[in-house]
Amino acid sequence: MPEKNSKHYSVMKKEKTEELFVKWIDGQLSRDEEAQLSDLLNDDPDLEGELGELKALRQSVKAEIPASVEPPYGDFFNSQLMRKVDLQIESQRPVKKAERWWQSFRWAWAPVGALALVLSFFAGHRIARPETPMVAETKINQPEQSALTTVYFTGEALDAEVISDSEGDVSVIVVTGLSAIRDDIDFATVTTRIELPKSFSSSEARRFQ
Amino acid sequence: MNFLRWFTSKQLMAPAGAYSDAGAGDEEIPDHELIKSCQGGDTRAFETLVTRHRGKVYAMVQNMIKNEADSWDLSQEVFLKVWKALPKFEARAKFSTWLYRITHNVVYDWLRKRKIDSAGELDDGILNEADIAAGSRTSPAMTARPDQALVNSELGQRINAALATLNAEHRETILLREVQGFDYKEIAKVMDCSLGTVMSRLYYARKKLQALLGDEKGKN
Repeated sequence: MPEKNSKHYSVMKKEKTEELFVKWIDGQLSRDEEAQLSDLLNDDPDLEGELGELKALRQSVKAEIPASVEPPYGDFFNSQLMRKVDLQIESQRPVKKAERWWQSFRWAWAPVGALALVLSFFAGHRIARPETPMVAETKINQPEQSALTTVYFTGEALDAEVISDSEGDVSVIVVTGLSAIRDDIDFATVTTRIELPKSFSSSEARRFQ
Repeated sequence: MNFLRWFTSKQLMAPAGAYSDAGAGDEEIPDHELIKSCQGGDTRAFETLVTRHRGKVYAMVQNMIKNEADSWDLSQEVFLKVWKALPKFEARAKFSTWLYRITHNVVYDWLRKRKIDSAGELDDGILNEADIAAGSRTSPAMTARPDQALVNSELGQRINAALATLNAEHRETILLREVQGFDYKEIAKVMDCSLGTVMSRLYYARKKLQALLGDEKGKN
């Protein structure tokens, strides 16, 4: 008969007992384990009731906690994620090494460039300036930010243009296609609110930190 | 869509009807085939994989950290890590176990960081939902879905509150076993612990849940 006061034996016995209880609740006992548990139940009549309650609890947890919950605006979740994946792919792309064949023509760049300047001067070629936009100059200096600047609409056919001025730290979103707001609208009685997902705002804020 | 992605997508290369838009009729394509395509650089296949598994990942993360806004970010982080690690994934392994292993790592990194940021004031074993202002929203407002209606039942709320008081390891063990239906070996792989530890955690987590819910019954 093994030494029942041995600490190691007690720990092992306790672990084995817990394993039996867990497996009984989950209906995973082998025949030998069923026999072992049966002995324990005979020693402690209250034990079966306790284990039964744990079994019922297991069923409740399974019934009440869903295994799958779609994130809000699933298509936006995907599009934002795939943009990050695209950026990841871009960052992994190796820098293309210069082809050897053109290196031998480097000597010709300077004279060709000078010739082009001279020709332009004598031709008197003038490049017309494009009509300056009426809004802030669009100049995005950080391509990774522009790739992730998105405007998301739910269910409406709207167009948006994001204009960023990095120097002034200003972004303007121009939205076309919205319905006109009546002059006589009383905003105090308007109840419809549209909010951008706060997760989007917090995610955007973190990117610009 | 990026032209290069479209050009190299299997949808273009494969026979007509072999692939469809992500999320539509993709149930026929098994995970291991999608993974193979992803390992070849097919991002459309990856998006299909994301659509198929994002619900389970989001549910697991949300049940672990009880924070809707961060659940969104962490779920995306999980899939981004999946994309980066897919070249190393061995086809003979089970994808769901591997996916949940990554989810486990992301969640625990977040919990550790939160603990550091709060300078030990926040016990990650106590995420008291009662402390969150009633009616506050951290995700877009949506009408209740059937699964949400189930979660919002009184018993569901009590179970969620009780789960939130467990420590992270016990909570995760219960979620993986009772909710996600993992067997003991899979749980041990996900949580990187022994079978004996899984059994012990399951036993004590269930006992504690029973005690918490039993206490509430007594009060009511």
